[in-house]
Amino acid sequence: MHKLFYPFIVKKQTLRWWVLGLFSGFISSQENGFAQTDSSGMAQRSPIVSLSAVTVRAIAPERFLVGQKIQHIDSVTLRQFQFGSLIDLLSLNTPIAFKNYGPGQLATVAFRGTSANHTAVLWNGININQPNLGLTDFSTLPMAGFDKLAVQYGSSASVVGSGAVGGSILLGSNADWQQKFSVTLGQQFASFHNNQTQANVRYATALGQNWQLSGKIFAYRNKYNNIYPYTERQRYFLEPSTTAQYGFVQDLYFLHKSGKQFSVNAWLSDNDLIITPLDTIARERTRTQSARLLATYEANRLTIRLGWIRDVLDYGKGNFYAPSHTETERLISRVEREFPLVSTPSRQLTLRIGGEWSHYRTRTDGYGGQLIQEDREDLYALMRFQTARWLLSANIRQAFVTRFNPPITPSFGAEYQVVQRDRFILTAKGSISRNYRVPTLNERYWIELGDPNLRPESGVNMETGLAAKVTLSDNIALTTELTAYHNRVDNWTYWNPAKEYHVENLQLVVARGLEFNTGLVYTQNQWRTGIRLGYAYTRSSQERVYDNYAQDVVGKQLPYVPIHTGTANAWMQRGTIRLTVQAQANSRRYFTADNSQFLKGNTLVNLLLEHSVKLGPVPVRVQGTINNLFDALVVGVKQNALPGRNGTINLIVNFSSAN
Amino acid sequence: MNNQLKKSMAIGLVALSVWNCKTSDPEPTPYGDGVYVINQGAFGKNNGSLSYLNRTGSTVATNIFVQANPTLAVSGGSGQGGNVQDYIEVNGKGLILVDNGTVGQDKVEVVEAGTFMSRATLKAPDIENPRLVIQAGPNKAYVSCWDVSGDFNAGTFYKDPGYIAVVDLNMGTVSKKIPAVKGVERMVLVGSEVFVGSNAYSGDKTLLVVDANTDAVKEKINFGATPEPIALDANGKLWIRAGKDMVRINPQSRLVEQRLTFASSLGTLAIAADKRTFYYTLGGKTSQFSIEATTATGTQVLNRSFSGALGIDPKTKQIYGSVIPSYDQAGYVIRYQPDGSLIDSIKVEIAPAGFFFR
Repeated sequence: MHKLFYPFIVKKQTLRWWVLGLFSGFISSQENGFAQTDSSGMAQRSPIVSLSAVTVRAIAPERFLVGQKIQHIDSVTLRQFQFGSLIDLLSLNTPIAFKNYGPGQLATVAFRGTSANHTAVLWNGININQPNLGLTDFSTLPMAGFDKLAVQYGSSASVVGSGAVGGSILLGSNADWQQKFSVTLGQQFASFHNNQTQANVRYATALGQNWQLSGKIFAYRNKYNNIYPYTERQRYFLEPSTTAQYGFVQDLYFLHKSGKQFSVNAWLSDNDLIITPLDTIARERTRTQSARLLATYEANRLTIRLGWIRDVLDYGKGNFYAPSHTETERLISRVEREFPLVSTPSRQLTLRIGGEWSHYRTRTDGYGGQLIQEDREDLYALMRFQTARWLLSANIRQAFVTRFNPPITPSFGAEYQVVQRDRFILTAKGSISRNYRVPTLNERYWIELGDPNLRPESGVNMETGLAAKVTLSDNIALTTELTAYHNRVDNWTYWNPAKEYHVENLQLVVARGLEFNTGLVYTQNQWRTGIRLGYAYTRSSQERVYDNYAQDVVGKQLPYVPIHTGTANAWMQRGTIRLTVQAQANSRRYFTADNSQFLKGNTLVNLLLEHSVKLGPVPVRVQGTINNLFDALVVGVKQNALPGRNGTINLIVNFSSAN
Repeated sequence: MNNQLKKSMAIGLVALSVWNCKTSDPEPTPYGDGVYVINQGAFGKNNGSLSYLNRTGSTVATNIFVQANPTLAVSGGSGQGGNVQDYIEVNGKGLILVDNGTVGQDKVEVVEAGTFMSRATLKAPDIENPRLVIQAGPNKAYVSCWDVSGDFNAGTFYKDPGYIAVVDLNMGTVSKKIPAVKGVERMVLVGSEVFVGSNAYSGDKTLLVVDANTDAVKEKINFGATPEPIALDANGKLWIRAGKDMVRINPQSRLVEQRLTFASSLGTLAIAADKRTFYYTLGGKTSQFSIEATTATGTQVLNRSFSGALGIDPKTKQIYGSVIPSYDQAGYVIRYQPDGSLIDSIKVEIAPAGFFFR
């Protein structure tokens, strides 16, 4: 099993790649196995590299949502979570809360005090939320499936569309133009008989005089057997479950020297969860399969995207012979054109106009089994104006949905650099936007309980903030950001338990809060050390009295939204050895609407030690982690204990023609 | 005077030391004479609980199992770990039936009656999907259990048969599992026989008779419809709900004596203190019928029904009704005088679905 790590075999294989590389005309270049791209989080500049003056490859949220907070997750953090889940990364680095049913089980998001279907998850710019539920089960998205991650705070309906109410999670693929051929193999060994395997092939080459090709083939398999050495923790049962995840990613980029680019991205994933697998009568199985394909053409300020997404969801008990089945397909097309209206060194005014058309086809037992189709169209205009000190944006979007009339959604944002010195930059920000959410397919079409006449939810989000970057000395850099927001969402849909769970446009939810982040990096000679701290105050409540008993619910904190959350990441590095402490804390989470019952607040601390070595020419990265260092008891949504202290060992071996 | 002071101090000291010795005993009974409310909790949240009401005054003690056993519930929820299905007391011990959404995690908590101090926990596989509990002997309880349930659509929801767990309260263990009927649920003890029926949706039409001395099945009677034994009346006759019918049988001869057919199945039912009248809700009203009735025409008691449970306090004859506004917020217990005049309304916990009068 560990043969791969025997130096001589490694050498031999590397030699083979190297020879192959020579014949293919690859250019060898030095790559450090432990690239340093630390940032202090939020204030980092967008990692998108413009390859030509006229081709802007950043997707719209990152450029047109001026005045709103965006947090780019740096590549070191991404690599630390190479075998991790998106849930862990986001909990440890952002104030996003998760409603977690157990290890490997349904995990839904609560972003800025909103509910699970108020966060848009975008993959290369297209919304991949499962349309029947209108949400993403974050347990089905391993970090392995994408290369880039950013978190867009606050509503961004004008740019992203329906459902981006609390915020958006931006996942992306990345072309690597460094000409080489490399194979990376990764293996994780974890507590509870869990393990993961990854294989990644990346290549880049010239195709004739004018074209370059960059490609990635990535496959992963994750097996969580969850064989715990205990059945209870402090009288709380652990729920037996197993999860098998498989995924396949294929990215191809063809770049012309003129700057035009054609790319294809594919992500196939399969998630198979079984709860109480040993009981053949009562076991519950949930299988989630998704295929996501995207073709993009970009040239001369024109972007054309064509996407196809298919989501299959099966749920059954016992032998799984006749599971309840949901199958949904979406065909998405989008055309955008950018116009540089003013382009002088001191002023740039950019207009981006776009249109989108999506066709939905869904078939679900819950809707009676017949095929339901609908079309959605969006038209939008995004404007961005930049001077030396000012950055302004004004956007507008109108969506058209079969049998629906979503509201027109404008947004305005501004950023002003109050202080512009070499060692101190202070930026003031502000934005106001209207947002909406088209009810999910389930909310509209579910037999009896759904209501085809629901209205879209509609809200107004306001936020303001201050961001500072300070270079305290040659060795110390500080970044900090403070944001306050207010988001009011009316016609909030609710599966009303008082009316046998019929869905209604019943509630009015007001979410308001504060977010504070700060990061400090110290560098001296061989040593680097840093700390990132985050705190969020989130107050989110239902404000409408709609029946006799709603009085007990009005003004109460929404379930599963902690009022206080904090994150801390501290690290120290010397050469290629890096020690990281990750901590996350949250206050109590109420789990009834009247706040009569709650899950206690908790603190989780993880420890991570990494080291890169070279076995001959082959870089090998070793990561060891201890999760839940202090063995804290955390209880999930179903009142089951989550596992206590556990550990993983990760090995990542890179064979590259560039070594 | 001085002597007297010394004497009284000495007495005081003795009293104090005695009191000190006694503090380890279950001397204070915080949940003594009163009414327990069985809060089922929400499906999937496993947050059932028990509340305690005094007969006088409108105060409520919530989540009493956790209050009495703070070390056992450390994470702020109900700490009960499931949906509470039933509660009774047998010879100074209370049995709390806890049904968790996940197989293998159900339990019966045995507590000291009055203090609610935990004494024993019965778990799977002895206890699986516990439904109801009755006293079946001086130190014995019967717990009806559906057993592991599968997929409703595939017909494997009710395991055939379910079983009755025989709980030995001296030992704090399950001493035997009596194979019963599919979807086994309601049980009524008549002399040394237990009449056992099943859930209305199970489709099982067997009325089972169990010998409470030997804990063995004595007889299986084909009842023609799914029987739900409700109570024994003042005349020693057994009442069984069977769909829309309320059926009175002679438990000795097993013969049907009376059959009252209502407009629909009686949702919530309670027998009066004197066991001569049944209270029920139907068509948005709360009514009563006599055990001697020959037609299904009740007399209205209250101009409303209850989404939770109905109970009659045997001590005060007061009417208790409970309201479940939703499974996401606390429900209410509404109390009425026997004449139907309102006493008070008390907020309890999630989904109040039963009462235990102590």
